Amino acid sequence: MSATGIGAAVRRKEDIRFITGKGQYTDDVIRPGETRAVFVRSPHARAKIKRIDTAAAKAMPGVVGVLTGAELAADKVGGLICGWMIHSKDGSPMKMAPHPALAAETVNHVGDAVAVVIAETQAQARDAAEKVKVDYELLPAVSDPAKAKNGPQIHGVAPKNTIYEWSLGDAKAVDSAFAAAKHVTKLDIVNNRLVPNAIEPRAALAEYDSGTDQLTLWNTSQNPHVARLVISAFVGIAPEHKLRVIAPDVGGGFGSKIFIYPEEVVCLWAARKVKRPVKWTAERHESFVTDAHGRDHITHAELALDEHGKILGLRAKTIANLGAYMSTFSSSVPTYLYATLLSGQYDIPQIYCEVDAVYTNTVPVDAYRGAGRPEATFVVERLVEVAAREMGIDPADIRKRNFIKAFPHQTPVIMAYDAGDYNASLKKAMDLADVKGFNKRKRESARHGKLRGLGYSTYIEACGIAPSQAVGSLGAGVGLWESAEVRVNPTGSVEVLTGSHAHGQGHETTFAQLVSERLGIPFENVSIVHGDTDKVQFGMGTYGSRSGAVGMSAIVKALDKVEAKAKKVAAHMLEAAEGDIEFKDGKFTVAGTDKSAAFGDVALNAYIAHKFSGQELEPGLKETSFYDPTNFTFPAGCHICEVEVDTETGKTEIVNWTAVDDFGTVINPMIVEGQVHGGIAQGVGQALLEGVVYDKDGQLVTGSLMDYTMPRAHDLPSFKVGTTETKSPSNPLGIKGCGEAGAIAAPAAVINAITDAIGSEALTMPATANTVWTALQRAKPRAAA
Amino acid sequence: MPAVSMTVNGKPVSGEVEARTLLVQFLRENLRLTGTHVGCDTSQCGACVVHINGIAAKSCTTLALQCEGATITTIEGLAAADGTLHPMQEAFRDNHGLQCGYCTPGMIMSALDIVRRNGNELDEHTIREQLDGNICRCTGYHNIVKAIAAGAKTMAR
Amino acid sequence: MAMTMTGEVMLSATRDVVWAKLNDAEVLKACIPGCEELNKNSDTEFQAVAVTKIGPVKARFKGKVQLTDLDPPNGYRISGEGDGGVAGFAKGGATVTLAEQEGGTLLTYNVEAQIGGKLAQLGQRLVNGAAKKIADEFFKNFAATMQPASA
Repeated sequence: MSATGIGAAVRRKEDIRFITGKGQYTDDVIRPGETRAVFVRSPHARAKIKRIDTAAAKAMPGVVGVLTGAELAADKVGGLICGWMIHSKDGSPMKMAPHPALAAETVNHVGDAVAVVIAETQAQARDAAEKVKVDYELLPAVSDPAKAKNGPQIHGVAPKNTIYEWSLGDAKAVDSAFAAAKHVTKLDIVNNRLVPNAIEPRAALAEYDSGTDQLTLWNTSQNPHVARLVISAFVGIAPEHKLRVIAPDVGGGFGSKIFIYPEEVVCLWAARKVKRPVKWTAERHESFVTDAHGRDHITHAELALDEHGKILGLRAKTIANLGAYMSTFSSSVPTYLYATLLSGQYDIPQIYCEVDAVYTNTVPVDAYRGAGRPEATFVVERLVEVAAREMGIDPADIRKRNFIKAFPHQTPVIMAYDAGDYNASLKKAMDLADVKGFNKRKRESARHGKLRGLGYSTYIEACGIAPSQAVGSLGAGVGLWESAEVRVNPTGSVEVLTGSHAHGQGHETTFAQLVSERLGIPFENVSIVHGDTDKVQFGMGTYGSRSGAVGMSAIVKALDKVEAKAKKVAAHMLEAAEGDIEFKDGKFTVAGTDKSAAFGDVALNAYIAHKFSGQELEPGLKETSFYDPTNFTFPAGCHICEVEVDTETGKTEIVNWTAVDDFGTVINPMIVEGQVHGGIAQGVGQALLEGVVYDKDGQLVTGSLMDYTMPRAHDLPSFKVGTTETKSPSNPLGIKGCGEAGAIAAPAAVINAITDAIGSEALTMPATANTVWTALQRAKPRAAA
Repeated sequence: MPAVSMTVNGKPVSGEVEARTLLVQFLRENLRLTGTHVGCDTSQCGACVVHINGIAAKSCTTLALQCEGATITTIEGLAAADGTLHPMQEAFRDNHGLQCGYCTPGMIMSALDIVRRNGNELDEHTIREQLDGNICRCTGYHNIVKAIAAGAKTMAR
Repeated sequence: MAMTMTGEVMLSATRDVVWAKLNDAEVLKACIPGCEELNKNSDTEFQAVAVTKIGPVKARFKGKVQLTDLDPPNGYRISGEGDGGVAGFAKGGATVTLAEQEGGTLLTYNVEAQIGGKLAQLGQRLVNGAAKKIADEFFKNFAATMQPASA
């Protein structure tokens, strides 16, 4: 391993600009003559718009324009769409309601935009927005997904507010498994609704050049090409070749910046109307009511076991709240990203899952770090843990008894696991966590009046999203391959243009490590270019822990082509047969001779083209590839959480956290560990602190960082992180992906630990001090008896 | 509009601002110092932390006019004139104390204030407690805590 | 989101005087904190404009105020709906009852209110305190109108 090659903990290239304040985020981009947009948003969860009076606003100082939903509709700007078709059990297609970027007739959640005010300055736009008078006729609303089916119908297309009633698996076979069971564990689970809260608020800056009829959008996107495709093909703002989307530095995404949002559509439309660049940057209170939320499942789940604790079957019934409109990929999250992972790491013969997706008068819900897989892991890992406790089996033992040990393994819910060693990660985690010493620590805690608990989460996820044919057959509207272009310059330095997008993941470093090792050139001589549709050929973006497994695989394929072409050039230079040229450590040699040419010389010769004729070989050294994976990848591992609960206050402190993950090949262990840390923090946030509360009228009660609790430094411990490695056979580097693991594993580990400590399973997330204290009071009589 | 003058990163600056203009707006919009970020509207996240007369403050909750005559340091003013990074900046890079980079300027400015208040030998508990005013959504804080401890030590040299 | 608040205040005037003042738009306008306009549409309906600040959200509410369940001089229900534009909305009502007591009249009020939009989002933790403060201020002002003007 070289100091900067694959496996080296190289410091990040991108850090220099971020630690010196030189990052260029969307709000930092300033265009000549730019104006600022402020949206007028509904304060009501559901209402009819009777009239919008913009006259007073238009008369305010500095106002450039005030535009409403009626004008957007008159200009025939298309609505936003959900790009993944799900069919109900009865074969009917999902009920996708219209989603105009500015509401013209009805508003369906607090924060739904009805008008936009564009002015010279932010302050002027804000002042003028106050003068927009909207007459609403209030309509009854429903915010609780459990009540959605009996609530007032939100959209004409969706009776009983039902988007789809979907199922996966063989219900009859599962019923037989349950009939044969010696033990059945039943759980009711609420997977709490979360706000992603990337620290950079979403932003959009649109500019129209009438001379070239070209629109440019700078936005906070995880996938600028997909944004361009949707905005062109469905919204119809501009043809694809007349729209450039640039996602510059993006300050965190976690899924929330995958989607196509109303604000970017409106800024593009408005820029053409007011003939000035239009910039919008969300204020945090807007983020809370416009960024797609995550999770929000209500589930009843059951696990059937034989007398030895061997799992016979699993069934689950879930209500998934998708909010007021179907966001870009919302339909796939509680279906193919959720139910397909209900087998966990276990050999479960039969699984059946039903999912009812419903509309409510709340912010749309879509993928948030893990997307479906944290929900699945929570169901599986809580069921297994509780089953072990009910049957008096050690929770590690019940897992070992049920682990899948032979690969490939076909689960009853679509997925074919290709490689893994679940015992290895469990064992390593138990050693690192000193599970053997737990009882001693528990007694020590008891002496201080504290309850200590230990919780496991042996999770699996399907990442490296995804084989295009497979997802196409499941309803995806796009292919999920990735592209790369490797551009070797005449001086031997290299630019890699990738369709993956980095917003914290460090691609500029890890991708360069790959290229540097493969071409034997200095790490410093490699630049990674991403996030601009005018520069990068095409790309599907970054989500679903796919940039390593899919994005880097595309680079590998392009590098293969570069090497093949360079060998041809070298053959001409060295006057040898192409088949005799070997490439190693940045040097081309003729086998069995001492004749060689350095990579840089070959690059130069490829461009000057003095050694070969155009008939023999095309000049240049630049190759493109599109890589489509053959399977998902299956990162898996074991997280062990140890907590101490204060019986007086119910406050939980995480005293130990051990994570052992199998991510396949690791390119940069420092970055991978960072991804694990961040994922755990978000998972712990879900388990202990975060939770969206809507009141019954659809008002968002947790609508600011004063009321929605984000994990802070003192809420978390330092983490013990280790890895095991089985390489993924489904991509050339053997990478599995690491971005979501922590968020997927953590919630179950925390709740398993607290319920172990307090001796009661009746605990909802977030397990705040109040929630735990209340559970302790309920558990007390049982403990005393 | 009222005028305001202050010293920012060692340079005297002045400008005309509305009475309601926040320091962060003055820095970002008037001076084009976009390293100071805005992450929230309730003084919770700390992405906007700068130093006013040597003390960390949230520039989203400070009026530009309040800073008349003040000495302001932003993230852009930490490195030496020749580009040599401040030890705390180096420590964040060495310890992978940042991912998306958005909270980082505020984190570094707060970290320096933690050192000012508590000295160069910082234990994990102190750092975690005193980082209460800054939110990072990416790192889980693990490496930020390490970076601050390491940076504080190097600063003593 | 909803809030409720109850309270009572002892006023040094007869019930009839209190009742009359409770129905006097000029008195109400002078007593309602931040009230900019209070115009009578009829004996039981007013058009009001009031400025309120709850936490970080300042709003200028425009709306109708209605008097219902009139039971002179025992009490009434006063209810209203205010549109604060981008700040959101507030609506609610209060049942006011008057009882004769030694030395004056005991006024009891029972408020239910709802707020929505940015007000609920950003101001909800402060709204109870703010409402209490507004009520206290109103009744302080109202009680003051019972006293003869002092030098």
